[in-house]
Amino acid sequence: MGIVNALRRLSPDSRNTLVAVLTGLVAAYIAYGIWDFKATAVLGFMVRYSTPLALAAMCGILCERSGVVNIGIEGQMLVGAFVAFFGATWAGIVFGVVAGVVVGALLGAFLAVCAVSWRINQIIAGTVINILAAGVTSFFYRQGRTMKGSMPTWEIPLLKDIPLLGKVFFQNQPLTYLTFAIVIVLQVMLFRTPWGLRTRAVGEHPSAADTVGVNVSLYRYGNVAAGGALAGLAGALLSVEATGTFERGMTSGRGFLALAIMIMGRWRPSLAWAAALFFGLLNGLVNQLNFERVIDVPPQFIGMLPDVLTIVVLATFAGRVRAPAASGQPYTKE
Amino acid sequence: MRKTTGALAGLLALSMFAAACGGDDADTGSGSAETTAAGGATETTAAAMERGFQGDCASEEVFCIGLVTDVGKVDDKSFNQSAWEGAMQAAQELDGFADYIETVDSKDYETNIQSFIDKKADVVLTVGFALGEATTAAAKANPDTHFIGVDAFQGEVVPNLTGLVFNEDKAGFMAGALAGLLTETNVVGAVLGTDKVPPVVAFGKGWENGAKHTNPEVKAITTYHPGGLDVAFLDPTWGGQTAKQALDNNADVIFGAGGKTGNGALIEVAKKDGAYCVGVDTDQWETVPEAHPCLVTSAMKLIDDGVVELAAQVKDGSIEGGNYFGKVGLAPFHDFDSKLPADVKTEIEQIIADVDSGKLPTGVN
Amino acid sequence: MNRQRVQSALLPVVAVLVAFLIGAIVVLADGKSPVRAAEAVIKGSMANRAAIGATLEKATPLILTGLAVIVGMKAGLFNIGAQGQLLLGSIMSAYVGYRLTVLPTVVHLPLALLAGVAFGAVPAFVVGVLKAYRGVHEVIATIMMNTILVNLTDWLAGGPWMQPDQAISKTPPIQASAEIPKVADLPVGFFLAVVMAFVVWFLLSRTTLGFELGTVGANRDAAHYAGMSVKGITVLAMTLSGALAGLGGAIETQGVVGRFEPGFNRGLGFDGITIALLAKVSPRAAIPAALLIGALRASSTQLQSIAQVAPEIVDVILAVALLLVAAPMIIRWALRLRNASGVEGVNLNTGWGS
Repeated sequence: MGIVNALRRLSPDSRNTLVAVLTGLVAAYIAYGIWDFKATAVLGFMVRYSTPLALAAMCGILCERSGVVNIGIEGQMLVGAFVAFFGATWAGIVFGVVAGVVVGALLGAFLAVCAVSWRINQIIAGTVINILAAGVTSFFYRQGRTMKGSMPTWEIPLLKDIPLLGKVFFQNQPLTYLTFAIVIVLQVMLFRTPWGLRTRAVGEHPSAADTVGVNVSLYRYGNVAAGGALAGLAGALLSVEATGTFERGMTSGRGFLALAIMIMGRWRPSLAWAAALFFGLLNGLVNQLNFERVIDVPPQFIGMLPDVLTIVVLATFAGRVRAPAASGQPYTKE
Repeated sequence: MRKTTGALAGLLALSMFAAACGGDDADTGSGSAETTAAGGATETTAAAMERGFQGDCASEEVFCIGLVTDVGKVDDKSFNQSAWEGAMQAAQELDGFADYIETVDSKDYETNIQSFIDKKADVVLTVGFALGEATTAAAKANPDTHFIGVDAFQGEVVPNLTGLVFNEDKAGFMAGALAGLLTETNVVGAVLGTDKVPPVVAFGKGWENGAKHTNPEVKAITTYHPGGLDVAFLDPTWGGQTAKQALDNNADVIFGAGGKTGNGALIEVAKKDGAYCVGVDTDQWETVPEAHPCLVTSAMKLIDDGVVELAAQVKDGSIEGGNYFGKVGLAPFHDFDSKLPADVKTEIEQIIADVDSGKLPTGVN
Repeated sequence: MNRQRVQSALLPVVAVLVAFLIGAIVVLADGKSPVRAAEAVIKGSMANRAAIGATLEKATPLILTGLAVIVGMKAGLFNIGAQGQLLLGSIMSAYVGYRLTVLPTVVHLPLALLAGVAFGAVPAFVVGVLKAYRGVHEVIATIMMNTILVNLTDWLAGGPWMQPDQAISKTPPIQASAEIPKVADLPVGFFLAVVMAFVVWFLLSRTTLGFELGTVGANRDAAHYAGMSVKGITVLAMTLSGALAGLGGAIETQGVVGRFEPGFNRGLGFDGITIALLAKVSPRAAIPAALLIGALRASSTQLQSIAQVAPEIVDVILAVALLLVAAPMIIRWALRLRNASGVEGVNLNTGWGS
């Protein structure tokens, strides 16, 4: 009875989340029961694939929640990956990651300058970042350097021994755990703290926020720079943690995919994470189908499966998604 | 007031931009000065030769080699780089010059080839099967220049065009045979670029057949990058993540074949104790030092040796049109030389010899 | 002609010059000669008829994808999918181009172009319908559509429509009757693209449809209360956008490549976004913007051959030019021009709300 009452007191959103999580868990364990290590392998891929995407989507959420469209995530990630890797070859991985985050934040600040102070169209500013990032990282890349050290894998005591979930979630690398934490913290901060309320107000009704004394520009600067830092971290995750190398154009469109994930997640950190996991799951299944040769279809069709499914899912289930109202609009004090 | 803010912001942006460029430059500057031990092999070759035609290529005595890449860069740790190293070595041995043009847009193949014809290059070297058509057209139009097309199989014989081609399936078979002998779980994995590039498919199919040849129990799990041609070879992250998935499927020998994507797979496997990885194209011990803990060998097609050989033939006039089959084989075992059991080595040597001579068919057509 | 108009016409020119200057500094920092690089750009893009032809050839698809993005933006839609639409248009025009064998040029050539236009429009139409009637955001839908179409065209060109008896993924060459000719080294397709720029300009600024499109882009609610069919116009704008991208693909196939081959059309759709922004979302301005990028891209051979400069320098220059066009206050400040006209820069109608 107590449980039922507790469930009743939850908001519809929380209830839906709870139901979704439980359904996912049950499905995962049924799959685990049938396919054993193969289920673990697919879910492990899901987490690895989704982590940089989720992190990049958090960047998008931070920016858009405060009213700034950031289509420069791809470029910020690429520069983050570049700086982090060469930083790591020069002074170790910690320095590399920090350098990647700092440069990401600088690019975020640059976007903020463009969007807030110069009131340049934000899509242009983002595009500038993307082109510049691709050009500069490619122009100045030199091969032949290796990182000093590599990211360890941390196994979380006790949790790691949980069947299935232990291997999937609790035997990962540091930045992956950091991403988990960032998603949760951001979710709580956006919806449970004064900062979150103000940030959302700035993104929805900047003039109203201004009237009650919120410094719109300050919030936009801070959040967009912080968002850039997250994109830089996502880039560092790609180069320093996930691969241990930098290659030209190694983001391969993940920054754009992150935008889709942000929108699918309706600008909510937790939902966006779920969307990223969904993508990871589909891509993991694609690989597993290839491995098992269950069906003899060309890889091109398997490759487009996640995208087709996404469109079908969105067309069938998702209602209208609504961006923060002031997203993309420069704010001028009246 | 607004104007000053704008001006200040402008200054900030410009200085940031300058700082960014300056910073990057300093970074890479020190990079080329301070070569790491691992990257040493490639860096020294590059340092030994100055790029460019610094002589009168039109004259009989001066031998000039011009290389046109497929869309990609000469430092791609893969086939473009291998061909460029061959070109530089050939230029050095023949006392000539070498230069390259990196193709940015596939529609520029002809323009890029033409620019070397205009510069009176003696040999125009085109890298990649995609340039085949443009190379053939250029060869027919310029009978006095010799053309070498890496990976470009020649259906008809053009006297001044030689295709430097390889039996990738043989190299893949040899590597697969080794994998079949090494695996303890009886699962071997392959993380490949795209099935739209014939050499990649040949490597992959050869690998599977080789593994089954030495170990009929083996399960070969293979996957291709699901993206288009433009990203399939450039995605080390996917390569690494997928290699991990293969490891989680109990594979203990992984073949990474597909440019940067494959390299990502190698680096990932290196993180796991006791797992082996196999590189592709060149001896990746030199190009992917991060993979040393697992890199038992590489399925090689020796583009650089082939280029050196063919360039020498052009110089002495003995070159013929048609196809020249370059050497394929397995790279040295390096650190694993002492770790591999003697009977495995004996068996694999026999297989290499049999595959090479054609006695042992790879089963790939 | 007043002073302000002269200034605002001058700004993009100055922006480009400053971008070249910064490019020169980067080249210098890389230890190469900016003078030789400049020589290379001139030689590669305009020194002779072949070079001019190359510039025009590169500019052609960029004008069209630029127009595609512009039409979308006018209606408040951000079409990231021009790349995929162009690919589908390109391969369908190739298919019609090689498959039909007995047609005369007057029928075959326009028919193949039409195939490109129609099939460029199809995926965009789907995206428009999803947006208007199912509330699926066009940014997600076009990103997904790009992946789907890259894969689909890769498969077609390497599967059912692959040229037989060879190993490479590509369709057979198109018939001569479908080829867009060159007149004195100059590609005819370019002039077609220029005509389209004027058609789109006329459509957007001189017709009721254009007015409705702009109204929907500026304020959907107002458009709705004014009795316009917001949904219909959304679908129409998206479809038109895709048709333009598809035409770009068809001209590539019929005028440049001569067949469809995966990898030969990469990046054109994304360059379209750059063009639209450089052109400040004005259809006629897409022509000079595309010419600039076309010229730079056409110089990549000479840049390496003459100056040994890595071709990525082009991206650096473009990014700076785009920034300066978007933020004219930087140049104003540098030149000490008076900012008389108030808000400057590009004003797109919306972000991606609603």
